[in-house]
Amino acid sequence: MAGARNDTPPIRATKFLRWFCKHEYYEDIQGDLEEEFHYLAADSTIARAKKWYRWQIIKLFKPSMMKKVKGQQELETQNTMFKNHLKIGVRNLWKYKSGTIINTLGLALGLAAFFLIALFVKDELSYDKHHEFANQIHRVTVENFSMDGELSRHWAFASAGHAERLKEDYSAISHAVRFFLWAFPDIDYQEKKLPSQQVVFADDDVFDVFSFPFIQGNKEEAFREVFSLVLTESTAVRIFGEDWEKQNIIGETVKLTAEGNEAPFKVSGVIEDMPQQQHFQFEYLAPMRFLEGFFDEDAMNNVGGNYNWLTYVRLEPGTDVQAFEFQSKEFFNKYMGEIRGRDASEFYGFKFQPLLSIHLNSNLEGEIQPNGSLQQVYIFSIVGLLLLLVACVNYMNLATSHFSRRMKEVGVRKVIGAGQSSLLAQFLTESTLITVLSIPLAIGCVYMGLPYINSFMNKELIFSLTSNFELILSVCGLAIGVGLISGLYPALFLSRVKLLKALKGESTIKSSRWNFRNWLVTFQYVVTISLIFALLVIDGQMKFIQSSDPGYTRSQVLDLGLSRKVSNLDRLKRELLEHPNIERGSYSSRIPTGRLADNWGSQFYKADSLVPTDFRMPCIMVDEDFIPTYDITLIAGKNFEEGMDMQKDSTGYYIINRSAAAAMGYPDPVEIIGEKLAYGPYNGKNLGMGRILGVVEDFHFESLHSEIVPMVMLKTNDNLRELSLKIKAEDIQTTLEFIEGVWTQHDAENPARYQFVDELFDQQYQQEERLATMIKVFAVIAIFIGCLGLIGMVGFIIETKTKEIGIRKALGASITNILYIISNQFFILIGLAFLLALPVSYWLMNDWLLGFEYRMTISIVLILMPLFLTCLFTMITLGMQTMKAAMSNPVDSLKDE
Amino acid sequence: MKKYQLGEFEEIVLLTVAVLFDDAYGVSIRKEIEQKMNRKVSVSALQTALRRMESKGFLNSRFGEATAVRGGKRKRLFLVTPFGKEALEHAKDTRIKLWESIPSIAFDFGK
Repeated sequence: MAGARNDTPPIRATKFLRWFCKHEYYEDIQGDLEEEFHYLAADSTIARAKKWYRWQIIKLFKPSMMKKVKGQQELETQNTMFKNHLKIGVRNLWKYKSGTIINTLGLALGLAAFFLIALFVKDELSYDKHHEFANQIHRVTVENFSMDGELSRHWAFASAGHAERLKEDYSAISHAVRFFLWAFPDIDYQEKKLPSQQVVFADDDVFDVFSFPFIQGNKEEAFREVFSLVLTESTAVRIFGEDWEKQNIIGETVKLTAEGNEAPFKVSGVIEDMPQQQHFQFEYLAPMRFLEGFFDEDAMNNVGGNYNWLTYVRLEPGTDVQAFEFQSKEFFNKYMGEIRGRDASEFYGFKFQPLLSIHLNSNLEGEIQPNGSLQQVYIFSIVGLLLLLVACVNYMNLATSHFSRRMKEVGVRKVIGAGQSSLLAQFLTESTLITVLSIPLAIGCVYMGLPYINSFMNKELIFSLTSNFELILSVCGLAIGVGLISGLYPALFLSRVKLLKALKGESTIKSSRWNFRNWLVTFQYVVTISLIFALLVIDGQMKFIQSSDPGYTRSQVLDLGLSRKVSNLDRLKRELLEHPNIERGSYSSRIPTGRLADNWGSQFYKADSLVPTDFRMPCIMVDEDFIPTYDITLIAGKNFEEGMDMQKDSTGYYIINRSAAAAMGYPDPVEIIGEKLAYGPYNGKNLGMGRILGVVEDFHFESLHSEIVPMVMLKTNDNLRELSLKIKAEDIQTTLEFIEGVWTQHDAENPARYQFVDELFDQQYQQEERLATMIKVFAVIAIFIGCLGLIGMVGFIIETKTKEIGIRKALGASITNILYIISNQFFILIGLAFLLALPVSYWLMNDWLLGFEYRMTISIVLILMPLFLTCLFTMITLGMQTMKAAMSNPVDSLKDE
Repeated sequence: MKKYQLGEFEEIVLLTVAVLFDDAYGVSIRKEIEQKMNRKVSVSALQTALRRMESKGFLNSRFGEATAVRGGKRKRLFLVTPFGKEALEHAKDTRIKLWESIPSIAFDFGK
């Protein structure tokens, strides 16, 4: 043949075929192709044949024709083995049902508790993060210092004049916004009337500082006109109904009425509802320019005092806040000059609080809504992690016991030829199975538990697969990780066992020997003991608070908050006292359970020579009924009388507490009566020299968290903001109705705000109360998981010791003997756990108690209590199972071979 | 039913293998189908069907002789197994049954 070279099939195509095609197919397929190639070449042209040949090979390039990729074979074997492991695993879970249930339940509970705590913690940590410039936004807070340079007050609010001046003077501040909460105006729209709505006035910068996404309108147009009103989604629904989006509400006019003023506002935009995770919640925003017309210029330019303006600034990126704070020291010197011959900056200062730290770290005076607590977040995180660990440890423990039942199986597998890795894979598959089972159970528990947590912690946590996808994914990963880790120990251990030993089916875990498992059990006990201890201490402290005498009577006292509308205080009180069930009424500036925040400095004269008072002595303003209404004990001198008024009379009258007398150098309070004291200046007026009229016994005006400080009571008609009413216990409902009736005659606009003082008292400790309940729930879960673990473990130990028990009984051992043999080991572990848990938990709880100035002492009984309780729980759990084994007939156990 | 799963193309290939008895290999099967059925068959489609039916047990195969025109490569000769025959019969029977159960009126297109 002439063109021999030319009429062979294309070499490269053939090579390609050989490269990808299965070896066992290649020969005949290539033969077929070549044969047909030659027929085709003879029938038509070689080029066409070549083209056909190539095309056929390209078409053959598909998976069913391809060689197996390297390792694919192995993968397929493993897949088969995995299926086998899965099957065996499921069978084993089914065979040991009780063990499976215990294990799944324990793990699910631990996971659920962890989930819930993680949700809570995540929520607490996510506050204010949604704002685009969150890292640049700072809140301007004002510090006041006393004459001796001590920080006396720290306000969450600033003065009206601060924002504008700060922005003008410092280039680092790019935007500044003030919020002002105006006296809750009514909103009218057509026939609809919405009483006391929370309209907040804000500077135009507001939308550049905070990110409030607009649903309708935009941030440029929102405050263009003075009479603009920006609604949130839910207020839009409130005014215009569910279908507000279909109505054209932009430009609609609503009427705001407050304190006799009336103004038509135009709806200029609708923003999304402010998320729960924000440290303030506003419903309507209106431009500050409107409000500026209502205040005189002096008020708007005020730079010291009148701290009612919630002020935020947006700093240029990269501003060093601390350096900036220092720089702004001159601010007060510039605008206020000198006060009493000293620089104003010695009395006033700014703090720039990062927005992101406000929720958990702030707690200043006048916070717009209660803040969270970082300490609480820490405590919960630790507890959550501990619970998860306990559940894991419990799981490992049970898995180990469970696997060691199967020595014979391991032996047989080894004989057949299972390698260590295959055995390892089997145990790991099985241990992961349980964790996989427990995840849906845990999620179910979370769904059930969430409403309780929400109502209890006052949160709106949401748990859904979409919004918590990451969390769920990570927890699933974690659960599987737990399965792997906890499977690893028994798996490694079992797969290494010598063949002969394994075939004999010897118990490899000698219960008498110290091993890793004992450490696991000890750890579990450590956590349980610590939690019980924490619970007892918190509970004890709460009881201590409840039972301790604060020095005043809080039951049957009603606190009525006054409004600016009430003008005739005498008449109000007189009218209220007409009711037979209202025994006494007293006006004061603050009431017990509040804070002692007004401190103006004082001068004390001992026999006409000035004695410097170098301690803080805050004051409250009261009338003559304050001491009897609260049953405060007068230990020397007299109470105020009607008609005395410090500001009008030439001589003042003061009542101080025992601590104040002692601080002034009079351990015997009787001797201080009649000495001279000058308190003030107050509102620019010096109250002048006065005499000490009486001394009262120390009482806890503030909560038990803080120490009783020297304080002074003044009698004036100024600043009386609260009315305390002592009422009779019977028929409280009608008394309250009567009070409301009288109130409306004096202030028709604002509803009466009242609260019982004992409730206020309890509210002071709300956070501790919550903590106590949470710890209680989690301690119970921990104990429960621990008991589950014990049941499983003891069951296993008894199983491995059936023969031993039988022989012992046959030789004459009593039931108590046998109980002792099985349980003594656990008590050793408890003892060890107690020794480990005590120092840490004692230190932690002592630290917590130090947060209270008045606290209970941790007694020996309290320390030993967790030990006793743990022993008790162990005994009950052990007892039930062990009794059965100990009482069984030895014949049954010995004949079993 | 599942046991005899046979696609339309597979059925044709299987039948052709039976027809070509003892000389059924890639080239001859393809030629046979292309001539008798007047349809194009690619080597890839044919080979896939053959290998699949072999793994299902409808076909057996052995190596035949090697010829020069094949570049010294051996043929793979296919043979229908008894199981393959059952599958074919099953397919045929079901069709006949279906044919028989068609009511005469169904194909009476009103002339």
